[in-house]
Amino acid sequence: MTTFSPAALLEGSFVALAEAVCSGRVTARAIAEESLARVAKAQRDFGAFLSTDPAATLREAEAVDRRVGAGERLSLAGVPLAVKDNINVAGRPSTAGSKILAGFVSADHATCVARLVDAGAVVVGKTNCDEFGMGSSNENSAYGPVRNPWDPARVPGGSSGGSAAAVAARAVPLSIGTDTGGSVRQPAALCGLVGWKPTYGRVSRYGLIAFASSFDQAGALTRSVEEGARAFAVMAGADPKDATSLTTPVPDVGAAAWARLDGKRIGLLAEAASAEGGLHEDVKASFEKAAETLRAAGATVTTVSVPRVPFAVPVYYLTATAEASSNLARFDGVRYGTRKGEGSLAALYRRTRSEGFGPEVKRRILLGTFALSSGYHDAYYGRAQKVRALLARDFAAAFRHVDAILCPTSPEPAFALGAKTGDPLAMYLADVFTVPPSLAGLPAVSVPSGFSRDGLPIGMQFIGPGDAEPLLFALARVLEDASGVLSRRAPGAVS
Amino acid sequence: MKIDLGLVSKVAALASLELTDAERSAMAEQLTRIVDHFDALRDIPDELLAGEETPRAMPLRADAVDACLPVAVVEANAPEFAHGHFVVPRVVTRD
Repeated sequence: MTTFSPAALLEGSFVALAEAVCSGRVTARAIAEESLARVAKAQRDFGAFLSTDPAATLREAEAVDRRVGAGERLSLAGVPLAVKDNINVAGRPSTAGSKILAGFVSADHATCVARLVDAGAVVVGKTNCDEFGMGSSNENSAYGPVRNPWDPARVPGGSSGGSAAAVAARAVPLSIGTDTGGSVRQPAALCGLVGWKPTYGRVSRYGLIAFASSFDQAGALTRSVEEGARAFAVMAGADPKDATSLTTPVPDVGAAAWARLDGKRIGLLAEAASAEGGLHEDVKASFEKAAETLRAAGATVTTVSVPRVPFAVPVYYLTATAEASSNLARFDGVRYGTRKGEGSLAALYRRTRSEGFGPEVKRRILLGTFALSSGYHDAYYGRAQKVRALLARDFAAAFRHVDAILCPTSPEPAFALGAKTGDPLAMYLADVFTVPPSLAGLPAVSVPSGFSRDGLPIGMQFIGPGDAEPLLFALARVLEDASGVLSRRAPGAVS
Repeated sequence: MKIDLGLVSKVAALASLELTDAERSAMAEQLTRIVDHFDALRDIPDELLAGEETPRAMPLRADAVDACLPVAVVEANAPEFAHGHFVVPRVVTRD
């Protein structure tokens, strides 16, 4: 018998939840009340949230109920939504996990938020994240770390760690984050979720607090592929407020458009086996099992080389930090956020930035400023840009032989809190598989492929050519079906 | 390459950051290690790097006045605001 209690609906797919709200079997307000109670527990247990506004959430849920009552069919009717704190929600704080933006309140919605809200989603909170999206473990937030609901002694991944923990803890069925070099996909993998980044430009960047503009993209985290695809369908689309927004038609990711796998050519990334820093034994086994699953589903599975993948981490950390050094110059204590210091204007800038930014942000600003500085630009930033273009050509060549590329999302399952905080380079190497598609502007989907012997989720990543999202979601669903992840609940999930 | 304390100080000044001595030492050690690792990019033969550098062209928009935020909204987020302007330390002096 189908149950329409808010608690039961939050345990299932939000597709069924939205249908229940649209059909009048439950109200968006009742769903919001249940989600808010779970959000408070997810904050208490995992540090997943930075701010909530229950009164506003309930008002917005009631507005959805009125729209449904007036006959609107909303694809996300009443779906509780958590938003990473570097994405603007009108009237709510946006700190980006930084002290320098303490007290800042967003004037308007990011375009991706506006599209989700227009489709009936209800914002229940802003999620914790690595400061300005800089991190792979969510230990770089000025407001404390986030813990993984599968094992609270371990990280949830980053930088969208709060968004991932919120969904894994079952406080919300849908969260959004930003993905600059893997910040949606890697936490999705470490928390047993589906996470995607779109083809560059497919989802508007308007309203995202910029880290590295030629990389930054918004994406979503969900428990299932079907929900991830539905979020993509809502979030994607041209936006005059973002000059880099694509104006070509959005590829149809509706279920009817999902391709059969017969004859599809999948390339296993040859460079995965020799990844710098090593590949965890359980991740390697899951990678091999995923290949078998795809073969059994009718795909042709081969090995494909993208020769410059081993250089992707250096290229990413030289180019993205260079962009960050420019983008973060705007935080100077004059127009918004925290102001510190007195005396000259230059002294005010220095003191505000020095007290407002955390250690990892300072490290990346320094690295990026170095890479752009006179005497070093050609050898570092300039050369990295050339290798970035070469890597994009490598991918284009690979996609002449295969329709999609498969590799692990992360070289290891969730690691212990504090395990890498003393070694920035080791932390950067955690991004070895997620930064290559970011450098080339390609779409990628991370999907749970199984579990480690310790019971921790493992994720695999499909990478495709531009606009390959329908195929990537179809491939992800094959692995999802085989992994059994949808029948497992994180031990720390709230109720 | 070696990122010494002097280079860290120079880059920090360019980035409008003040570092304590301990921060400067830690950054010098960490950035040296990171940049040493990144020097692997030199192993790629130059002849492979010829060709288009930018994967995609950056579109331009018209240089036209567009709607902007109401002053009251801007003021609400400003650290110090008066008479419709952001307040900053004096930058022009009589002498």
